[in-house]
Amino acid sequence: MVETFNPTDSKESLKLLIEEASLKGADRLNRYPKYRFFGYFCSYFPEELIIAAGLHPLRLLPDSENSTPVELPAYCCSLARGTLDMEVREKWRDLVGIGFTHTCDTMQCLSGIWAASGQSKTVDIVPPVMLKAPGASRYYHAELHTLLSKLTDLTKQKIEAEAIRNALILCANTRKLAAELDVLRPNLPSPLIFSLLRAGQLMPRSEYTHALVNSFPALKEMAEEPHNKAKVLVSSAVLENDSLFEMIEELGGRVVADDTCTGFRHFSGVTVSGSEDPLLDIVRRYSEMPPCPCKNRSLNERISYLTTLAKQRHAQGAIIIVRKYCEPHAWDAATLSESLRKNGIRTLTLELEGANAGGQERTRLQAFLESLLGYEL
Amino acid sequence: MHTTKEKRRNYRPLVSNKALQQTMGSYYALTSWHRYWGKFLRRPLAWVTSGAPVELLRAFNIHCAYPEQYAAIYSARKATVDLCEVAEAAGYSQDLCSYARSNIGGVLRPDLAPLGGMPKPDLLVACNNICGTVLKWYEVLARHFNVPLLVLDTPFLTDQLTPQVKDFVLEQLYAMAADLEEITGRRFNEKKLAEQMNLSRKITSLWIETRQYCQASPSPLNAPDLFINMAPIVVLRGSQKGIDFYRKLKDEVKERVELTQGAIENERIRLVWDNIAIWPQLFSFYKMFSEKGACFVTDTYSGGWAVEQAPGTPMESMATTYTEVFLNRSPKFRANQLINLIKEYRADGFVMHSNRSCKPYSLVQEVIRKEVMRETGVPGLMIEADMADPRAYAEEPVRNRVQAFLETFDDLK
Ligand code: SF4
Ligand code: SF4
Repeated sequence: MVETFNPTDSKESLKLLIEEASLKGADRLNRYPKYRFFGYFCSYFPEELIIAAGLHPLRLLPDSENSTPVELPAYCCSLARGTLDMEVREKWRDLVGIGFTHTCDTMQCLSGIWAASGQSKTVDIVPPVMLKAPGASRYYHAELHTLLSKLTDLTKQKIEAEAIRNALILCANTRKLAAELDVLRPNLPSPLIFSLLRAGQLMPRSEYTHALVNSFPALKEMAEEPHNKAKVLVSSAVLENDSLFEMIEELGGRVVADDTCTGFRHFSGVTVSGSEDPLLDIVRRYSEMPPCPCKNRSLNERISYLTTLAKQRHAQGAIIIVRKYCEPHAWDAATLSESLRKNGIRTLTLELEGANAGGQERTRLQAFLESLLGYEL
Repeated sequence: MHTTKEKRRNYRPLVSNKALQQTMGSYYALTSWHRYWGKFLRRPLAWVTSGAPVELLRAFNIHCAYPEQYAAIYSARKATVDLCEVAEAAGYSQDLCSYARSNIGGVLRPDLAPLGGMPKPDLLVACNNICGTVLKWYEVLARHFNVPLLVLDTPFLTDQLTPQVKDFVLEQLYAMAADLEEITGRRFNEKKLAEQMNLSRKITSLWIETRQYCQASPSPLNAPDLFINMAPIVVLRGSQKGIDFYRKLKDEVKERVELTQGAIENERIRLVWDNIAIWPQLFSFYKMFSEKGACFVTDTYSGGWAVEQAPGTPMESMATTYTEVFLNRSPKFRANQLINLIKEYRADGFVMHSNRSCKPYSLVQEVIRKEVMRETGVPGLMIEADMADPRAYAEEPVRNRVQAFLETFDDLK
């Protein structure tokens, strides 16, 4: 690793994290020439096993929301279209492999398309959808075993239990730091926190935790006193840049609760450790984390969890983002919005092509946030 | 002899259509009957997905109704747009599956739905072997009706069925049986399940046999025939009535083959269809083909129910059969399936309906199209539409593409 990318100065560390978040891994070969990266798509892909295999997990994010690779129809989410297009343009050529988790129908299809038409090696894991179904944990455990052997085949190296345990510790530490960041949320600009969390899905994890620890003094220095901004919860699938969070902040809002795939939801929930078989700890971690709309722990768990979270954080409003053609999030939008409204939390549902919020969204967001501030008065 | 009207349609109607109408008519009547009497007689009404393990439900005297099938009827009767708009106004995006949207529209406004909408369910059973949509859709229904929702989670098969997947599904099936005991107050009877599986096997064999007759030239059936006649195999698996109907259909189809009577006049081009029917355009769309002597001799959609049961005990057989359905499998598997159909049915080409509503069916079609063309050397056309929502159908571009495609066969016969 190049030394300049591992600063000890707090402000420099912060700068590094922000840079990494905006680069989205694009400069990885320059910055980390000796590292071998492994691409993955979803928070349900167990990073622990990537790390234990001696690889660095890189979340694949699209560089454009307007890509139209011939393999996919236009009525497919821009995350799938954009990342596949990057595969066609050989942007992922250096990756040791790419990991797909079965979550939504689109991801399921994307994995097959990638295997059929891409150059990269692909690895799949199909966790249970019904996380509390009878036999789900046993099945999940067996799937992790299969994944382990697929990763071993890929790297031609045995993955020791000790390496998995160490990876569990590293991931637990990352999640703990992310939770500390989440606590600072009310006092720091929302796009900044969002950026810092995204960096944790792109950078080599030990470099990330190191830089994040170093940046805390600078962050604490930046923290403002209690604000009078409109407090909102944001729920969304992947958001590959800070555009929306910037707009919310500019228009007088502050994100007090973040339920986005690339935001805090990625880190939230428990990390358990200490089982004789570390794979059992991984099963528990991913079965118990706050679910995304593709998974079911019980009929209303996700909706109740988010409603409670919004109330605990005193959110006045909730912004529900639906990426165009993203079905799981679109499905939950109606129910979530109803539940929040019943609890006195106003909601705004916005449909975005990708992560960029444009003029039209600005107008709607402005009206929404103003109404929240006016409501408070 | 064709009547003038039939000639204009270039289409030979089936005599067994009457039996189909009677069979389905009595099924709908029975379904409505459950709305009033089912509870008293401990015969609950379940809404189930098309890939749900109905034999198990039937073994508990549960009557099954299929929202997907009603949605196809809504569409054929031109009610889908109004119903979808109701669901869209309630917050369900226009990009969601139109079966789901029109069903929810019908739940919210039964007065707008053909057949008066579906009778209210006592129970919901979903199996995600066809898509992830059904889980989200049935969650919405479970909240709305406040009735139990049983879900069978059949992990997607990236390759072959593994023992861990089979064990997981099997364990859930036993748990489902226990839940059904509680819900119905009846004991699980494995013998009764075996009987249901037997009836199911019989109806499936008849459907398979009927379809195989279409390997003949000219083909005795065309895609709209297959789509219309698939209704009983979906809703009446495990029933004697369904078996009786398919016997009639099979006999008629067999006779057509013996008399070398084709479903369309002057069959010149033999095609395979991939994806759900375009219900709102069922006749006008396929007429573009039949006019030019192109017949769809088989398809992957109604063929989804022409799959023999896997071996094992009734529960084991169900676990495998329901997990191995084609929509739960990789593009590679699906490409092979299409390649085999093209070979077995001696098809000259294939048409894929890129169906905006159904992502698991459609997103992978382009890689499958390329693979199938490479392997078989026959051309494949992709048409973008929607199985139920006519708003997604652009008549002119579709017509142009179909014409250009059919012209490539001009040298044939
Ligand atoms: S969850 Fe939504 S955004 Fe994510 S891959 Fe699936 S469809 Fe696309
Ligand atoms: S049409 Fe497709 S998305 Fe809709 S319920 Fe059927 S399989 Fe699922």
